[in-house]
Amino acid sequence: MPQFDSHFFSSLIFWEIISFAILFWVLYKFAFPPILEALETRERKIKESIDQAEESRKAAEQRLQDYESKLTGAAREAEAILLEAKAKAQQLLDDNQQRLQAESDRIREETSQEIERERRKALQDIRRETANLALLVAEKVISRSLSGDDQRRFAEEALDAVAGQYVNGDPPSV
Amino acid sequence: MDDPLHPFELHALIPLSLFGLDISINKAVLTMWVVVAVVVGLLWRAGSQAGLVPTKLQSLAELLIDFIRGIIHDTMGKDGMRFFPLISTLFLFILFSNLLGLIPGSYTVTSQIIVTGVFAVGVYVLSLVVGFKLHGAKFFGILVPPGTPGWLLPLMVPIELISQLARPISLAVRLFANMTAGHVILGVLFGLAISGGLLIGWLPFSFTIALYGLEVGIAFIQAYIFTILTCVYMGDAMHLH
Repeated sequence: MPQFDSHFFSSLIFWEIISFAILFWVLYKFAFPPILEALETRERKIKESIDQAEESRKAAEQRLQDYESKLTGAAREAEAILLEAKAKAQQLLDDNQQRLQAESDRIREETSQEIERERRKALQDIRRETANLALLVAEKVISRSLSGDDQRRFAEEALDAVAGQYVNGDPPSV
Repeated sequence: MDDPLHPFELHALIPLSLFGLDISINKAVLTMWVVVAVVVGLLWRAGSQAGLVPTKLQSLAELLIDFIRGIIHDTMGKDGMRFFPLISTLFLFILFSNLLGLIPGSYTVTSQIIVTGVFAVGVYVLSLVVGFKLHGAKFFGILVPPGTPGWLLPLMVPIELISQLARPISLAVRLFANMTAGHVILGVLFGLAISGGLLIGWLPFSFTIALYGLEVGIAFIQAYIFTILTCVYMGDAMHLH
């Protein structure tokens, strides 16, 4: 095999070592550091981004929980307020009704009292008028000496007059 | 038909000598320089434009480098990253030697036993140096597998010694033999295709194409195996059982 021809061993070994050394030195100096650094930076960046995302997620979850609990609290509060308002309204309604009832009772009472008073007054008036009329009639009958027919006619006229006055609704003035 | 080993022959193109040592430039040496130039060009450019958002070239370089980093982490642990530049240079050199050798007309540097041998011995000697530096005389314990009963020592130590010495040899021969065999088979099949003519030659020719694809895979796999075994030997030296 030509590979076992030791004639070329020395030159191959020499140039292999030289080439490898040059390659190693150049890569070591100029190629590996930036590439490795870029790799590590990227790894770090990715890790940081993931951590940050996780943190943000946690914060968002916390906030959501806060909001939810706040929302629940607000709903409960609203319900309480509503209930209270309803109760108050009912109370107001009841009070009003009672007040109105009392008022109307009072008015009715007063009205009936008034009516009663008026009725009594009217009765007294009537009585007084009747007495006046009787007196008037008697006076007329007495003041004139007339025939029996005349007397009867006067009396009837007087009574008619009185009646006419009553029919008109107003008591006759004396 | 040509001798299938003919492509592996070397001829001094530019005769040179240094202190009586023959360092003539031949095709293998030229290919090494091309390998160095390609790797440097690729990685230097990738490194010079390295940014947070990678370019295409940077992605390729990062793929290779991350691959080697993964091997080192898996076999040597985090403190193995000290050897990252050396091991990745080794990987890139072998990988691109294998790949460039597949270009018709070029030369496969790694099909030279002396080239793979220098790498294998170098790696093995380095692992010994690291082992003795880290553990001192205790490093001889590598010859005694854990849990060996005392009376088995006379048997186990020679066996372990042989297995240790076989490491650089197997490392060198594996790469050299795989590269040589692949190219020999490609050469033989292609020779058949040429001499078979159109009538029958298409059969070995299609085999040539299929095998060529396989050889590209082997170029990667052999570079990977050489690298991972290097890491395993170094890891053994660093972390004595």
